[in-house]
Order: sequence, then C-alpha cells, then structure tokens
Amino acid sequence: MRIAAGVDVGSTQTKAVLVGANGDGVKVLSRSLMDTGANVRKAAERAFDECCQAAGISQSDVGFVVGTGYGRYNISFGHTQMTEISCHARGAHFLCPGTRTVIDMGGQDAKAIGVGPSGEVLDFVMNDKCAAGTGRFLANAAEVMGLGLDDIGPLSLRATRPVKIATVCTVFVESDILSYLSQGKKPEDIMEGVHLAIAKRTLSLARRVNIEPLVTMTGGVARNIGMVRALETVLGQKIIVTADAQFMGAVGAALFSLEKLGESFESTVWRDHAVSSRD
Amino acid sequence: MPLVAGIDCGSGFTKALVVAQDSPGAELRILGRGRARSGINVDQAANDALDQALAGNARSDLNYIAGTGFGRYNLSFRDIAITEITTAARGAYYLFPRPGAVLDIGSQTTRAIAVKENGRVNTFKSNDKCAAGSGMFIARAAKYLEVPLEQVGELSLHAAHSHPISSVCAVLAESEIINHVSSGVSVEDILRGIHDSLADRAGALLKRVGLHGELTFIGGVAHQQGMVRALEQRLNVKVNVAEDCEFVCALGAALLGLRRLASRN
Repeated sequence: MRIAAGVDVGSTQTKAVLVGANGDGVKVLSRSLMDTGANVRKAAERAFDECCQAAGISQSDVGFVVGTGYGRYNISFGHTQMTEISCHARGAHFLCPGTRTVIDMGGQDAKAIGVGPSGEVLDFVMNDKCAAGTGRFLANAAEVMGLGLDDIGPLSLRATRPVKIATVCTVFVESDILSYLSQGKKPEDIMEGVHLAIAKRTLSLARRVNIEPLVTMTGGVARNIGMVRALETVLGQKIIVTADAQFMGAVGAALFSLEKLGESFESTVWRDHAVSSRD
Repeated sequence: MPLVAGIDCGSGFTKALVVAQDSPGAELRILGRGRARSGINVDQAANDALDQALAGNARSDLNYIAGTGFGRYNLSFRDIAITEITTAARGAYYLFPRPGAVLDIGSQTTRAIAVKENGRVNTFKSNDKCAAGSGMFIARAAKYLEVPLEQVGELSLHAAHSHPISSVCAVLAESEIINHVSSGVSVEDILRGIHDSLADRAGALLKRVGLHGELTFIGGVAHQQGMVRALEQRLNVKVNVAEDCEFVCALGAALLGLRRLASRN
C-alpha cells in the first residue's frame, strides 16, 4: 500500500491526514487535529506525528507529504506545498463527488471556490480582511453569550424568533448581543440571528463565484450545525457536510501527495465512499 | 439667564455639558461637564452625566435639553434630538470659527464632515459598519498589548519608528500584533503604526468630503496626541484639537438648544 500525507496548517488549527492506496482504492487512514498556536513548525510536526501513530505506521512509511494552509511554508518535513484553495477543491471532489462549489469557513478567513467537473479550481473569492464569517467571529460571539463554541450550533436550531443583527463586525456584534440579552431575548434567538447575519454576508461573498450545486461546506465552522442551517436557509438549497469537513484541506493535500507517488485515480470511482450528507 | 444642557449619547460614553448665556449675544459660559459610560440604559447614563455637568445647579433650573448622538432617540427627557453631524459641525465651528473639515473619531464611528463658512454642514461621510478605523480598534489593540488606553497616545509619541499594521479588522489584528510583540517590536512602535494606519483610513474618508482649510479633530480619540501627530504628518494639514474634544457634540447641541430656546421665547 502506498501511503501519502497532507498537512493543513491553518491560522487556528493544524490538521493532518494520511491516505492509503492499494488495489481496492484510496482510503483515509487517519486524522489528527491540534491548535496551531505560536509555533507553526512544531504544530505541523506534532500533527503529522500523531497522525502516523494513529495509523500505526512510522513516518518513514509515508511516501510523500504535501503542506497546505497559511503556514504551509513553515512545514519542515513537507516535500511540496499547494494552496488551500486547490486542496479544498480536490478534497471535496473526492469525498463529495459532484461538488461544484466549496464554501470554506476557517478560523480567520472565509472562501468560496468554484470547482470544475474533475475537481479543478475554476474561480475563488476570499475574505481575509475581516473576521465576519470566520470561526474567530463565532468564538467571540459564543464567549459574549457565555457559551462554548460547540454549543452555539445546536442551541440556535431551537430558535423560534431569530433577532435581527445589523452588524457583522465582530467587535460591534458584542454590544448587539449584550443589548438583546438585557432585553430578555432568548439565547437561541440571538444566536440564530447572529448565524443568519453571517450567512448572508458569506453568501454575498460566495455569489462572486457562480454558486452551482452541489455546494459543499468545509473548514472548522462546518462543525457548527447552526451555521450550516443558516447558510441553507439563506441560499435556499442543501449544503453537503461530511464528517471530514474540517479536514478537507488536508485530505486534498494528501490526495495530491498520492498523485505525486504515481497513484493516479479518478475520484468518481469512489462515488460510494462514505459521504455523510445531511438530509 | 437661560440654562441649557447638551447631552451626547455616544455608543461608548455619554457626555453632558451645561451652558448659560446671560443675555442674547453675550459670551457663553460653560458651567460644567459630565461623562458616564453609556452601557445599555441611555437615560441612566444621561442622568449620571447631567448630574455632574449641573455642577450644583438644580435640575429644575434647566430651560432646555438638547440630545444628540447614537442614543438620542432613547433619551426620554430631551426637548429636541439633533443628529451628531450637525452638532459636531456647530460645536467645532464655535471653537475654531473657520471653514474646513471636522474629523470625529468615537468608539464605534468615524465621521468626516465638511463645514461651510457659516458653520453649517456641507457634506459628510461616516464609517459605522465595523470597528476598523474607530476608537474600538485602538481599544482592542491596547488590550492585546496590555497597555492602559489612557497611555496609548503618549506611548505612540515616543516611538522610534512606525511599525505598519496590515490588518483592517480589529479582531484579526490580534494575531498580527502578537506576532510583532514576539518578534521584538516595541509597544511604542506598534502603537504608532496603528495611529498611522488609522490616520490613513481617516484621510480616505476626509478626501471624499473634501479636505480644504483646517482640520478640527474631535471625539474621544482626539485625546491621543500620537493620533493627532499621525494626522498632521500623514495628511499634511494643521489639526485643531480642543481641550474639550470629547464634548464638542454636546457643546454643539447646547448651542443649537440655546438658539431654539431664544426663537421660542
């Protein structure tokens, strides 16, 4: 079996994925996730090491490593680097065949990528100037609400009358939230209002690439079910989220690694690959 | 002797100013000033600020109360509500009676106002969509740098260099600032870089209203000498700053209140 790795050094979290290919096809073997922190190089090394341990192999068994993400040039052990745009498109094309648009909401940026029929990047737009639509925004909002980041998604699904949030500025939304709390609004209605405001903002960015179905969401924010729902509401169509959404960049990087090893394959072959899309 | 209060209900702080004019046309006397954190209850903050500004005079002696600022419509005991654009222009023109532009940087809004020969508003532009360029940006940066906000203006003056900051977003700037600190850039240089970048952003806004003549800088951020210097150097203009820079809108409201009162009597 040929084994290849992808390491995605994000602004907030670092993800590593190992993929293996043998006669039966290509499989994700293991994943690891950790905070990037101040020492980018070390985070990448640790993520790669943990990923190898999880798969029960040694680092020398890995034939090729591709680094991606904002910290990709700090990876000491990588063989080459690719942009996270290409990697997200490639990963989504593999795990969610038929993907034509990727919405990637990460720790400090938000992107929309138009994907071609064979997983190539057609177009992309990116917001890294402002925290609206990033994990950073949602973490801040959760903190003001006194909630954990993992709690805000499920909470906002219980909303009955979402409040109107006029600003998408991370700083200004704090006073909006506090003023709604003081008016006695329910936390779920406030959080849903926040999610809807961010969804509108993110989709107005995404509309600059053509939003074609299927739409797949990637990045850490995809773990937030409330955000996914809000995007679906505003967009008016289903959004595909796999369990590996947060690892999509690393998965794409690992697939590029595998190609470097000479393992060429057409992802539509893997149509039956476990895609846990939501209904 | 009419006694008039101007209350500026800003997003960060509420400022009140009480003025008296012994006879029509006589010189204005400022009796007192008051300031309170706005919080969520506009009336409560306004009461606090007004009580300080009354400086011993009885509330019942007030003939007129003019409200301005972001929270003016929530001020229940006002006689009139006036936009902060008008009051900023009026207050600034009273202090520096020459045409030009007014730059108002408050905690959540940045405004550029072009003022005509008579102190009236010609045109204005404001940014209240996000914290970039507002006092909040500086407040956040001070927090990341663990510097008290009151010291920011002074520290920036003592910078040896200006260390540019590329983040526009007050939140994303955090990692950039932390990177600067960990790579050994001095706090002074970082603060100066922040003032320079805010000055450039203010300059872009001022350009859209036309920056002719002198610039009068008002709002809480005008207290920061480093910001004043950044504006002078980057925009190459003379910058007027009143000692009462934070109370200019309240002053403008009081002046307009006086006039309203006179026309009513």
